Amino acid sequence: MTLDINAIRADFPILSRILPNGKQLVYFDNAATSQKPQCVIDEMTRYYENYNSNAHRANHTLADEATTALENARKEIALFFGTKPENLIYTSGATEAINLVSYGWARYNLKEGDVIVLTEMEHHADIVPWQELSKEKGIEVRYVPIDNETYTLDMDAFEVAVEDASLVCVTHTSNVLGIRNPIEQIIQMSKNSGARVLLDCAQGAPHEKISFSDLGADFIAISAHKMAGPTGIGCLLVSSERIDEMGPFMTGGSMIRKVTTDGSTFQKGHAMFETGTPRIAEAIGWGAAVEWLSQFNMKDIHDHIHKIASWTGEEMKKIPGIKIYGDPTNKNSSGAVSFLHETIQSQDLAFLLDQGGFAVRTGHHCAQPLMDALGVPSTNRASFWIYNTQEEVESFIEHLTDVCKRFS
Amino acid sequence: MEDASWPSHLSPIIEEFKDCFDSMERYELLFEYAKKHPSPLPLDEWNEENQVLGCQSRAHVKCSLDENGFFLLRAGADAQIVQGLMSITAMAVNGMLPIEVARLTPKYVEEMGLKSSLTPSRANGFLNMFNRVISEAEVLSEG
Repeated sequence: MTLDINAIRADFPILSRILPNGKQLVYFDNAATSQKPQCVIDEMTRYYENYNSNAHRANHTLADEATTALENARKEIALFFGTKPENLIYTSGATEAINLVSYGWARYNLKEGDVIVLTEMEHHADIVPWQELSKEKGIEVRYVPIDNETYTLDMDAFEVAVEDASLVCVTHTSNVLGIRNPIEQIIQMSKNSGARVLLDCAQGAPHEKISFSDLGADFIAISAHKMAGPTGIGCLLVSSERIDEMGPFMTGGSMIRKVTTDGSTFQKGHAMFETGTPRIAEAIGWGAAVEWLSQFNMKDIHDHIHKIASWTGEEMKKIPGIKIYGDPTNKNSSGAVSFLHETIQSQDLAFLLDQGGFAVRTGHHCAQPLMDALGVPSTNRASFWIYNTQEEVESFIEHLTDVCKRFS
Repeated sequence: MEDASWPSHLSPIIEEFKDCFDSMERYELLFEYAKKHPSPLPLDEWNEENQVLGCQSRAHVKCSLDENGFFLLRAGADAQIVQGLMSITAMAVNGMLPIEVARLTPKYVEEMGLKSSLTPSRANGFLNMFNRVISEAEVLSEG
């Protein structure tokens, strides 16, 4: 089914924004964060205006309404990701979700000499927690390299690395290259080796239907804000087997069963990991985002994004001096197109694109090992989502061509 | 200084930027100024001590007094926009007393129509370098 992009755009008030320099905003920084539809903004406002209260604590009407909304959002989000509410732990985002696996599972279940397999493609959020754990417990961390020609993972190297691994942590889709990894194969190979699998789906979830039960991973980390939800909320999806192996990460109120001056006992399941006042408005907002997204087929969203990313990548290649990092034409690639100009420094290029109203990301994208593998300090990145149009990318190419002519 | 914000010899440069047709023309002019740095810091002198930290570009600043006790700003950046702004800043502050430099504000950048270079989100670029110059000028004026 073809998406009605104009109708979709009408749901996002920010997209009609005129910037201070008089230019129409063209938002191509979706891999950093997506914009929010009006229904998400409205649901969060409705909570604050009508039933703002703490959840899971009191018996008054507002508290009941807040608790019900928080838990209904959990049901809706869990359903969207093909799992049950009891397998969904709210976190602040994918970063906290990965740290939760590190602190709440790995520290209780891994020991000195165990092996964790990462890839060169990982975001720092999926590297630094494991480096810290490695220092603390004497765990070996292995990195699967990328092939610099195809920008894909070296699966032969993965096969060797996973052989005696205890845990495999891999990104579903690279935030820099837009490359979607062969996660089904990675999960299968990891299982065959007896390794547990953590998928970082921060970039994957906005681009394809993630089904936790179908994939069979042990852990999946997701951020809401890249898929139309608010910032400050995300989740860790955990299999029932693994959640039973987990121990407390952060401690305090709500996660306890009983506290005495002699010590404490803890709740079971997701409650053990959701201490303190929950992110109630954010969870409700994410629930609204998931409901909004559910009206579409994620395959249609992927196809739309892939079409404009692929076209943009091909057109950019025609501009003298531009080099693309990744392969936007790959049918599995998401909407991230990383590029550099041979003489215009990336930060300068981002400034100059901003003069035309184009919001792109610049920097190492929290993926310095990948930058090292690519042999560059940073890239520019245009990343597209459901509301971006062919007209926008055409005007982008026109502006980029002009910038390259004038400033190189 | 005729104004507390910038020295008088900077005014013709500011006027040059004000005469630009649009922001793209202003940035073209800024790229030209990046090539005219009166006291660039060569690459082989870029080190951790003089690096201004930031994640998007490399920038280095070295402030000292010349043989007559006047301020000398040497700077280098891989981003031409930052280098251009530092070039103009060097044109402004070189030859001034450190105490005068310490009183400088980046208002001249705003006046040139390049206000976006001063927003906190760009702090890893020019604004951090400017703040470094001011704090080094404060130290040099005390010495």
